[in-house]
Amino acid sequence: MITLLPLFAGLLMLILTQVLPNTQAEGMARISRNISMGIALAVAVITTLLFIGHWGSIDWTNITQGGYVLQNDAIDLIPSIGVTWKVGADALSFPMIWLTTVLIPISMLVEWNAKRGHLFHPLLLVMEGALLGVFVVLDLFVFYVFWELTLIPMFLLILMWGGEDRRYAAMKFFIYTFAASVIMLVGILVMYFHTDPIAGLGSLTGHHFDLVAMTAQNNLIPSEGLRHLVWLMLLIGFATKMPSVPVHTWLPDAHVQAPTAGSMLLAGVMLKMGAYGFLRVAVTIFPESTIEFIPLLLVLGMASLVYGAWVCMGQTNLKRMVAYSSVSHMGLIFLGIATMQPLGIAGALFMMFAHGIISPLLFAVAGAFKHHYHTLEIGSMRGIAHHSPWLAAHMMLGWMASLGLPLLAGFVAEVAIMIAFWMTFGWLVLLPALTLIITAVYYLSSMQRTIFESNDPEKGILPDTMHDEEPRDITWHENAGMLVLAAMTVLFGIMPFIFWDMMSDWSSGFTVETLIDAMHSQEWMP
Amino acid sequence: MSSILTDIDLDTMLLLLPEILMLLGIVTMILIPNLGDATMRIPLTRTRVPILIGGTRSEYNNDPRLPNLIACGVLGLALLASIVFLGEEGDVGNALHVNEFSRLFTLLFTSALLLAALATSTRMPARPKATPPLDSDSDEIVDSKVAALIDNRRQVDFHILLLTTGLGMSLMAMATNLFMLFVCLELASLSSYVLVAFHKESDVGGEAGMKYFMVGSVVSAIGIYGMSLLYLWNGSLDMADLASAWSAMEGNDSLAIVGVGLMMVAFGFKVGAAPFHLAVPDAYSGASSPIAGLLATASKAMGFVALIRLLLIVTMPPSGQAIWMLSIALIAVLTMTWGNLAALTSDNPKRILAYSSVAHAGYMLAAMAAIGSGLADPSTSSMIVTAVVFHLLVLVLFKFGAFLVLSMLEAEGKGHRIEDLHGLVRREPVIGVAMFVFMLSLAGVPPLSGFLSKLLMINGIVSVSAGTGAVTSTTVVDWAGGVDPLFWLAVAIVVNSALSLFYYLRIGLVMFFESPESDSGLSKAPSLRLAIFACAFLTLLFGIGPMSEWLLDVVTSAVDTMMGL
Repeated sequence: MITLLPLFAGLLMLILTQVLPNTQAEGMARISRNISMGIALAVAVITTLLFIGHWGSIDWTNITQGGYVLQNDAIDLIPSIGVTWKVGADALSFPMIWLTTVLIPISMLVEWNAKRGHLFHPLLLVMEGALLGVFVVLDLFVFYVFWELTLIPMFLLILMWGGEDRRYAAMKFFIYTFAASVIMLVGILVMYFHTDPIAGLGSLTGHHFDLVAMTAQNNLIPSEGLRHLVWLMLLIGFATKMPSVPVHTWLPDAHVQAPTAGSMLLAGVMLKMGAYGFLRVAVTIFPESTIEFIPLLLVLGMASLVYGAWVCMGQTNLKRMVAYSSVSHMGLIFLGIATMQPLGIAGALFMMFAHGIISPLLFAVAGAFKHHYHTLEIGSMRGIAHHSPWLAAHMMLGWMASLGLPLLAGFVAEVAIMIAFWMTFGWLVLLPALTLIITAVYYLSSMQRTIFESNDPEKGILPDTMHDEEPRDITWHENAGMLVLAAMTVLFGIMPFIFWDMMSDWSSGFTVETLIDAMHSQEWMP
Repeated sequence: MSSILTDIDLDTMLLLLPEILMLLGIVTMILIPNLGDATMRIPLTRTRVPILIGGTRSEYNNDPRLPNLIACGVLGLALLASIVFLGEEGDVGNALHVNEFSRLFTLLFTSALLLAALATSTRMPARPKATPPLDSDSDEIVDSKVAALIDNRRQVDFHILLLTTGLGMSLMAMATNLFMLFVCLELASLSSYVLVAFHKESDVGGEAGMKYFMVGSVVSAIGIYGMSLLYLWNGSLDMADLASAWSAMEGNDSLAIVGVGLMMVAFGFKVGAAPFHLAVPDAYSGASSPIAGLLATASKAMGFVALIRLLLIVTMPPSGQAIWMLSIALIAVLTMTWGNLAALTSDNPKRILAYSSVAHAGYMLAAMAAIGSGLADPSTSSMIVTAVVFHLLVLVLFKFGAFLVLSMLEAEGKGHRIEDLHGLVRREPVIGVAMFVFMLSLAGVPPLSGFLSKLLMINGIVSVSAGTGAVTSTTVVDWAGGVDPLFWLAVAIVVNSALSLFYYLRIGLVMFFESPESDSGLSKAPSLRLAIFACAFLTLLFGIGPMSEWLLDVVTSAVDTMMGL
C-alpha cells in the first residue's frame, strides 16, 4: 500500500491544482511542494527503517519458493482473468526500492525552485509511485501497467520543463519505449496463454498473470522455438529501457532535454527498470533461453560498453556525455549477467545500484552547471574550481566514481563483473577492461580542462553565455542534494557490504536454484 | 402478434418497463411542445373551450431545451429500469423473450442514447445555420441567437427519432422470431438514417444520410429476401424452430444456406464488416458526432445481437465446424486489415474513428469465428461471447467518449481535420487527457477496458486453437506449422492492434505536441463535460479492479442465460 500512497497523493494534488483557478494554483506551489517533499521523505524513512530492521535477519536466498519479504496477501483485482494485486520484495528489488525512495526527495530538493512547482513536485511523486510499483508487484499485468505508467510523468517532465528541443526528445522517448514495451506485452501475453490454472484465479480464461506461479511452473512454454521468441520479445522491451545499443538513441536526446530532476530519475532508476525486469522475468522464467542467447548478450553488452565509451569521448555536451557513459555502464550489466556466475550477477546488481547513485550526482552537477553557467559545453569554460568550489568538488567526485576509482561505489561493481567475466570467458576480459581505462583517460582530461586549467588563475575562462554575469556557486538546496549523493557514493564505496551481502546471497541462490539446472540441460559450462 | 396485446398485465408491463418508458417518452414529446392556448367552439353554441393542442405555445413548452430534457429524463429512467430489472426473465407473447442478455443490451442502447442526448443538449439549432450562444457573446447577440433557436420543433423531431431508435434496438434484442427481429431492426435503422441526415449544418450531412439510406435499404432488401428463403425452407421464422430444423438438416440444403448467407450480408452491414462497410466512413463523418457515436456503438451492438442470434442460436451445428466459419473468419481478417489501413491514411478524425470502428468489428468477428470452428467446448464458447459482449459494452464508453470530444470541437465548427485536435491538452487539459485515455483504450493498452476485452477475445481464439500446436517442436516455424489455422486469427488481431497504435497515438500525440490553432477554451457545455469525464473514468474502472470483475460477472451470467448453459 506504501506504493500507492505517493501515486495517489501526487495525482490528487495534480487534479486539485488543475481544478483550482490559475491564481490560486500558483499559490498552491509552496504548499504542494512541501506536502510532496513530506510524503517522499516519509516513504524514504519507512523503507530505510524496513531495511535496517530486516537485513541480516532474513534469508535472501530463496526466490523460486516465493521467498519475498514484505509480502501482503494478494488482493483480487480481476480474478476471472487472473489479475491480482500481489507485492513483495527480495534482494533483487529491495535495493532498487530503497534507491527510488531516496532519490525522489533528493531530486525534489535539487529542483526545489522549479517553475510551475504546483505541478512539478506532485508529478515527481506520481513518478515515485509508478517506479515503486514496477519494483514491488509480482503480477505481470500490474507490472506492465506500472511499467507504462512510469512513461507518463517522465514524458510530461520532458515536455513541460525541458530544453529547446523538448518536443522532439519527448516524442522520441515516448515512441521508442512505448513501441518496445508493446512488443514486450505480446511476449507477456504468450506467457499468459501458457500458464496452468491455479485455484481461484482465471475462472473465465483459465490463465493467470501471477509471476511467482509462472516461475514455479515447470517448463512454462514447452516449445523451444516459441520460448526463444518470447525471450527475444522480452529482451527488446527491457533492452530498450536499459538502454542497450542499438536501441539506445532515445537516451541522449531525452537526457539533454529533460530537466535536472527528470534526468536524475531517468538515469538513476528508470534505466534500472530494464535490467530489473530482464532479471526478474526473462532470466528467471526462461534460464535455458538466456543461456542459449549468451553470445547475443555478450555482443549487446560489449557493443554498449565500447560504443558508449567511445561516443562519450566525442561529446562536448556535458549531459550527452553522461548519457553515453550510462549506456556504457548498462552494457556492463549485460556482461555481468552473461557470465552466469553468482559474482557476475551480484556485480550487475551492484552496478545497478551504484550507477543509480553516481549518475544522478552527475546529472545534478550538469543541471547546476547549466543553471549557473547557462551552457553545457565542456570546452567553453575553465577553472570552475575557482568560481564554484562546491560544484567543482561534486563534479570531480562524480566523475571519479563513474570511472571506477577504488573506495567509491562504482569500483566494487566493475571489479566484481570483471573478475566474473574473466572466470567465464578468460582473456576476452581485456576488451571491457581496456575500454574502462580509455574512458578514464578522457574523463580525466576533460576534468582537468573544465575544473582546473586556466590561463588566469584568478578568473579562469567564463563561457560566452554568461555575458557579464558574476559566476556563483550552487545554491544550498542543490548542494544539499548533491552532498547526500556524494556521501552515499563514498559510503557504498567503503562499505559495499551493506547491500553487497544480500545481493551476492541472492545471486548464489538464484544461480543454484535456477541457472544450474538450465546449464545442465543446455550443456553449457562456464 | 395479437397475443402481445392480450397478454398485457402488470408483470408484462414490468418486464417491458424500459420500452414502455421510451414509448411514453415519445408520446410526451409529441404532446408537450404542441400544447397551446387554442380553443374550440362547441357546435351550436357560443361557448369556446380550450383544447390544449395547437395555437400559441407558452414560453415553457416552446423552450428549445425542453425536448432534450425529456429525452434525457426518459433515457435515464429507462437505463435505471434496465439496471434494476436486469435479472427479470419472461416471455411476452411468442415473439419476445426478456432475459438478462436482452436487458444487458437495453442497458447498452439506453446508455449510448443517453450520451447522445446529453451531447446534443446545447447544440441543436432550430434552423440549420443558427449557432448556439457563446459565453463570450454580448447580450444582443445572445438574444438574436436565442431567437433563432427558439422554435423547438426541430429538437422535437430529433429526440423523437432518438427514442424510436432506442425502442427499436431494445425490442430487437429480445426478439425470438427472425421476422420480429427484422422489423425492430428496421425501426431502429430507419430512424438512424434520418438522424444521420439531420446534421444539415454540415455540407456533407445530407449526402451522408442519403448514402447511408440507399445502401442500408438495399442491404435490408437483401436480408429480407434471405429471410423469405428461410421461411420457404422451414415454414416458420421462430428461432427455436429454425435451430432444430437446421440441426436436423440432412446435408446442405441450398435454400437454407443461401438464406442465411443473405441475412449475414444484412447484419454484416450493420456491424460495419468489410466489404459491406463502404457507406460507414461517409455516414460517420457526415453525421453529427453524437449520432456517429451512436452508429459506432449502439447500432453496431444491434448488428452483433442479430449476428449472435443468427450464427450461434440458429445455425450452430451440435458438433463440428459451422458452415459460416470460414467466411466469417475471412471477413474478419479483411475487415480489421482494411479498417486499420484506411484509418492510417485518413486525416479526418471522424473518419479515423469510423475506420477504427470497422477494425473493431473485425476483431469481434474473428472471435465469433473461433466459436464456429467446432473446436470450442460450451464454456469456451460462452467465454468468447462474453468477450464480444463485454467489448460492445465498454466500446460505448471509449468510442462514444471520443466522439463526444469531437462533438465539443464540432460546436465551434471544427473537428473534421486532425489539425483541429492540435494542442488540445494545452487548451483543455481535462478533455485532452480524456481523449488520450480513449485513444489508448481503443488501441488496447492495459489497464484500460479496451485491453481487457481484447485480451478475452484473443484468449478465446488461442484457447480454442493453440492446444493443437506441436508442443515439442524446436523452432518457431515448426511450431507454427502445427497449430490450427484458427490461431492465425489471434495473430491477425495482434498485428492489427500494433498497426492501429500508429493512428491512435497520432491523435494522442498531436494533442500534446502541436501548437493549437487558437488558445481559447472550448464551450462550457457542462453536461457534455460531465459525460466525457464519466466515460474516461469508467473506461479505467471497467479495465481493472472490482468494477470490471462485476461487469464480467454480469456479462458472463447473461451470456450463459442466452446460450442456455
